[in-house]
Amino acid sequence: MDLFFQQVLNGLMIGSTYAVVALGFSLVFSVMRVVNMAHPEFFMAGAFGAYLTIRYVTTNFFGVLAGGMLVAAIVGLVVERLAIRPVRGRYVMIPFIATSGVGIALQHLAERVFGSDPVAIPPVVPTVSYTLGPLSVTRMQLVTFAIAAILMLGLRYYVRNTKWGRATRAVAERPDVAAAFGVDVNFVSRLTIGISALMAGAAGVSIGILYTSAWAFMGLLYGLKSFVCMLVAGNRHIEGVMAIGLLLGVLEALVSGYITSTLRDAVAFGVLVVVLVFKPNGLFGSYSV
Amino acid sequence: MSLLLRVKDLEVSYGAVPAVKRVALEVPAGEIRAILGANGAGKSSTIKAILGLVKARGTIELEGRPIHGVPTHRIHQLGVAWVPEGRQLFSTLTVHENLEMGAFARGDGPRFASRVDEMFTLFPRLRERRGQLAGSLSGGEQQMLAIARALISEPRLLIMDEPSLGLAPKVVQSLFEQIQAINARGLSILMVEQNARQALKIAHYAYLLEVGRLAAEGTSAALMASEDVQRVYLGG
Amino acid sequence: MFWTPVLITAGINSIIALGLYITMSSGPLSVAHAALAGMGGYLGAVLTTNFGWPFALAILAGVLLGLVTGMLLGLLIVRMNELVAGLTTLGFGETMAVIAFNIDYIGGANAFTGIPLRTTLPLVYAVLAVILFVAWRYDHSRLGYAARATRDSPVTADAMGINITWVKSITFGIGAAIAALGGVLRAHYILVQGPEDMGFFISVGFLIFVVFGGSYVFWGPLFGAMTLTILPELLRFSTKDRFIIYGVLLTVMVILRPQGFITRRSMR
Repeated sequence: MDLFFQQVLNGLMIGSTYAVVALGFSLVFSVMRVVNMAHPEFFMAGAFGAYLTIRYVTTNFFGVLAGGMLVAAIVGLVVERLAIRPVRGRYVMIPFIATSGVGIALQHLAERVFGSDPVAIPPVVPTVSYTLGPLSVTRMQLVTFAIAAILMLGLRYYVRNTKWGRATRAVAERPDVAAAFGVDVNFVSRLTIGISALMAGAAGVSIGILYTSAWAFMGLLYGLKSFVCMLVAGNRHIEGVMAIGLLLGVLEALVSGYITSTLRDAVAFGVLVVVLVFKPNGLFGSYSV
Repeated sequence: MSLLLRVKDLEVSYGAVPAVKRVALEVPAGEIRAILGANGAGKSSTIKAILGLVKARGTIELEGRPIHGVPTHRIHQLGVAWVPEGRQLFSTLTVHENLEMGAFARGDGPRFASRVDEMFTLFPRLRERRGQLAGSLSGGEQQMLAIARALISEPRLLIMDEPSLGLAPKVVQSLFEQIQAINARGLSILMVEQNARQALKIAHYAYLLEVGRLAAEGTSAALMASEDVQRVYLGG
Repeated sequence: MFWTPVLITAGINSIIALGLYITMSSGPLSVAHAALAGMGGYLGAVLTTNFGWPFALAILAGVLLGLVTGMLLGLLIVRMNELVAGLTTLGFGETMAVIAFNIDYIGGANAFTGIPLRTTLPLVYAVLAVILFVAWRYDHSRLGYAARATRDSPVTADAMGINITWVKSITFGIGAAIAALGGVLRAHYILVQGPEDMGFFISVGFLIFVVFGGSYVFWGPLFGAMTLTILPELLRFSTKDRFIIYGVLLTVMVILRPQGFITRRSMR
């Protein structure tokens, strides 16, 4: 029983990062009708941004977090300018392919610059463990979860209660009408990409520090899982994507703990197939493309 | 009398298909002008061109200032508000939030609060529903909200696309009375309508489009008596 | 001959690209074809290396595996919209790679080695010629027209009495079978079959051959695969840089000329 709860706890910690990455991806899809296949590279950029910040600027955790997020945001705006803005509104597979191309170029560029082997990230958060009865959790895990929670709740607040959040929802639903009431749709799109990049970047920083490494291709697996989260949850409700992210983390941890850790990464696809066979529009609907 | 809107030589094509060919119209300040025509005549395309939502060629001037090529959100800021065909409310936003979107360009200071109050006085049914999602309102209520959303930004020109669409005859009646009342307070209105009878009752002047071209124009009295309009759809 | 390796690789890439072309002719974007090729490669390799099967039979087995897997995948994605379908193929490919990584019988992370050399330059080009002929006949066949109708307008295709489920499933199957064929040839040339050849990037590599070369006519993927395999060799690009260029090329191509280099019009 202890193993169960421990794995659930571990799963929630990792799942929170899946949820954050999935949310950003889902947000861009809802608002811009674009599947940004370069989204995982924002995650990767965050981790490398953290590495660079630690190496050249500061080892203060908040500084590192800010540095990572900044790098991710810059990459985000570059991707938006080059691969998304020119093709928005066209047949949906075109941005999919265009962002895939940019994503691949970015991954290999990172490989060129940082090498094919993972780059070590020194621990900037002291490795302290807390025990709660039979369960244990490290400080970094808690920090990761806290960052994820703040970002997700922040996004929810932004979307529901602020002027620009409202405008974002309006653009997601009817961009022409939103424009006709004064909303600069291009600005909202850039803003949305920026937010998705900041979120993915923060998750990248967390995971980079948690696993003490950054790697040019680390985004791929993360990206795949967050896509699965979005597909399974549908993109109508923020809360759905969050919940599925957490759930996936827990499921993976349980499979890892009880069956075999080598099949962990296949869990996501298995879940995807099962859900999509019965509900092609995701559990909480809906997909309008 | 000053011209609020002037359109000349307007051409709109979707790919190789021309939808609007050399249309010209004007809206003098304080008038209601109508664009009439059957389905597919090019009425909505004309409106979309004025709003900058589709690519077009020609001259479009708002109070003497050329707005052709100006981005849609800037056109709104210049004082043009749109009541789209089929309402097109933000259905996942509440009534109040839709009004907030209407006033997006104006900000939400104390002026906004008093404007909201004015809208609710004009359309009392909306006040009760202010926290409800716009998608859950009845057809007539949605139309009221769509108009309120447009009016709340205190526009100089109101563009209405098929306001009577999908509404019961009694509702249409009171709707057009309200439009007339709004105009009486000084707002200029350009209205696209399929219900020519109702439109001609309140419009000062109208344009008849047929297959993208201007087939006839004139005062309401002139058009009501004309054969063209009778032929096209007053049942003649 | 210095050029032999490059020409063999270009020929194999062309074969797999043509497989992708046929799969995509009915609509879905697939990034699973590298995995499908890999599966063919694994099966063929195990059969010849561990069981001493004749090469021809191993090829046949690979093709059958590809056909069945492809048809099942095609069936799976029939009801999905294109985006979800594309992402599903992504998931499939990655999962197959993970599974291959974890099965020690076929070498696991260290890949399956010791494969006998069976593939020669003449063989590759003979097979390529056959596949080109098949693709040509396919383009002008009823199935080909039905597939293109399904891709361009599913609703109309349905109304015309085309069984969309069958069309999508069989085109995926045929395309996968061809890819698997390419995979068997490849495994018996490189003599190593590993999970890293099955992933997303390699699949995107094939995708770019098709997108760049032209996805509407069968000459397109041939041109794309040939050009993009031989050119980097000519210019002496290393593998890492190659993918950076591929990525940029894919993005630029799809923005500026999404129908690819060779279109039906340029063939007239």
